[in-house]
Amino acid sequence: MRRRDFLTMAAVGGVGAGLGVPGLLRRATAATPIKIGMPAALSGGYAQYGIQAKRAAELFTKDITAKGGVLGRPVEFLYEDTAGDPATAVRKAQKLVEKDGVKFLTGIALSSEALAVSAKCPEWKVIFMSTINGAGALTAKAWNRYFFRVNTSGPMGARAISLYLAEGPMKRFFALGSDYAWGRDSVASFTTQITAAKKEIVGTDYPPVGTKDFASYIAKIRQSRADGVYLALPGQDATIYLKQAHQFGLNREVKPIMEILELENMKAVGDAMVGAIGSSRYPFTVDTPRNRDFVKRFHDLHGLYPDMFDGETYEGLEWLAQVIQKAGTDDVEKVIDTWEDSSYEGLEGPFFMRKCDHQAVQPGFAVEAVKDPKYPHPVPKILATYPGEKVTPKCRTEDFS
Amino acid sequence: MVEQLLNALTLAGLLFLVSAGLSLVFGILRVVNFAHGVFYMLGAYLGFTTVALSGAFWPALVVVPLVVGTLGTLIESSTLRFIYRRPPLYQLLLTFGLALILEEGIRILYGPTAKGIDPPAYLEGAVRLGSLQYPRYRLFVVALGLVVAAAVWLFLRKTRAGLVIRAVAQNSEMADCLGADVARVRTLVFGAACALAGLGGVAAAPMTTAYLGMGIGVIVDAFVVVVIGGLGSIGGSMAGSLIVGAAQTWGAFYLPETAMVIMYAVMGAILIFRPWGLFGEPE
Repeated sequence: MRRRDFLTMAAVGGVGAGLGVPGLLRRATAATPIKIGMPAALSGGYAQYGIQAKRAAELFTKDITAKGGVLGRPVEFLYEDTAGDPATAVRKAQKLVEKDGVKFLTGIALSSEALAVSAKCPEWKVIFMSTINGAGALTAKAWNRYFFRVNTSGPMGARAISLYLAEGPMKRFFALGSDYAWGRDSVASFTTQITAAKKEIVGTDYPPVGTKDFASYIAKIRQSRADGVYLALPGQDATIYLKQAHQFGLNREVKPIMEILELENMKAVGDAMVGAIGSSRYPFTVDTPRNRDFVKRFHDLHGLYPDMFDGETYEGLEWLAQVIQKAGTDDVEKVIDTWEDSSYEGLEGPFFMRKCDHQAVQPGFAVEAVKDPKYPHPVPKILATYPGEKVTPKCRTEDFS
Repeated sequence: MVEQLLNALTLAGLLFLVSAGLSLVFGILRVVNFAHGVFYMLGAYLGFTTVALSGAFWPALVVVPLVVGTLGTLIESSTLRFIYRRPPLYQLLLTFGLALILEEGIRILYGPTAKGIDPPAYLEGAVRLGSLQYPRYRLFVVALGLVVAAAVWLFLRKTRAGLVIRAVAQNSEMADCLGADVARVRTLVFGAACALAGLGGVAAAPMTTAYLGMGIGVIVDAFVVVVIGGLGSIGGSMAGSLIVGAAQTWGAFYLPETAMVIMYAVMGAILIFRPWGLFGEPE
């Protein structure tokens, strides 16, 4: 083989790698089921998010089947693997809509995928329910009527942790966000809010998604003499950052403040993570009767404790089922009308779906990673809870009053 | 400055362990091995298992390369061997398929959560170098990269086996006529390349954890390294690793917005002005 062949093949292989592996997970069909499409990242580096959505769907299926389904019809999930790639996500979503006839899409992992799929939903006339995606734009300038966000957004997470930090002793912050929609959005939001609280941002950087070595950024953060570093890094990137910062001895000098403090990170990083603070979309340690029961059922089925998107996805599915039941039909337009301005008792507190941008108003949490002998890994301890009105941005914006 | 230099050397050490094998396999087998990154990932995961079973880090540095290397020889002799004479597209499909199978196999076995490995106790924490605090473990990775690079180079240049390998690389038919067992050389070289990648995975795991997708991430960088350094050249892999390591490290420090661009710009320049790479030979 000649060099030119090698280069051609390298290019072809690169394209191939982006296409990912087809998900072949189907369930047998019963009479006219309500179909929910999950074009989720089930393989590749973001598989942990897709798998969380799938785990939640599995528990939900079990629970809703025990209750006799929705409108007396069974609920069926159709999974497709996007491998975390926006173009693949659109293709798989389109397949689910046009070939399988789903009216509801959910379980999409990355904001970049969500922005691409959401833009198509008005044309397809299907509801896209986000339970994971953080990018503020999804309910602001990129919003459309077919998009609903049940989860806490990136700006909302940044808001919760900013409210917490505003009262704390730390004054100087470095912001490190992954170089894509969610990372940049969160850093922008954090910067605005922390500056408003009379604190200082002493440096900002946007490492590319999938960064393997944070040494250069760690050196800069140390030089900045910040008290804390705000991190909007997705799952694996955050794990690598925390591990390396620990080895450099940086975590003792500059406190890690995570936009999302995930169990995934705590399991992988272990004790080096203890002391990190951040916001949580859903901390499984919330002490409400509904949540205690959910955590137990989840643990019985899967043998582990629910992470943020296990909880958020379950809530989304439960809420959607209630809305369909109330609407008396799975007609998309009627479901949208019924969902708007409706309430739902979530696992961690009350939810309200506001009509103006379909962002669910819900409590926000500041949490800290702590060791607890009851659990095999560090767990989130709740430092502060903020009511929905305080942590939800003004309608169709990423700003807070 | 010293810190960034050490960072660049750490990254270069890991990149060398991966790209050396990629380059060797191309030199000897004339196959672009897309599965190479997965052997790196497999090394990291097996390192996790070995550390968990033995309770110590060092056994992993020995056991894992042996296991991954053995697996490599088995894969070569059961699959790749049969398609050397077919058009290159078959090799692409085969190695790409192998990569997907291995990666999904790892996901099914280990689950989606990353697996952390702790470095041995005396490599934990940071050491003071003047005003600088530098992690002991990273210094170990720099040393490991240098030692392995020297060992591979000496092996290829100074031993009889190395001579045979170089002969096969230069002209496999002629080497065959002269009595070299070409099929066996190919199998062993493929196994050795996989072992190096596995070693790289073990060495990387305490810094990055073992995670899904680490194979794809590293293979892209490794391809850039071999394109810059020249295919089939060990010296080229060393030079390429240093250049890519330096470009990424300094790029991220001084020009963070363009860190990735720098690496590809260097590669582009090489492709235009010296398409056979720094240490390769024109066809």
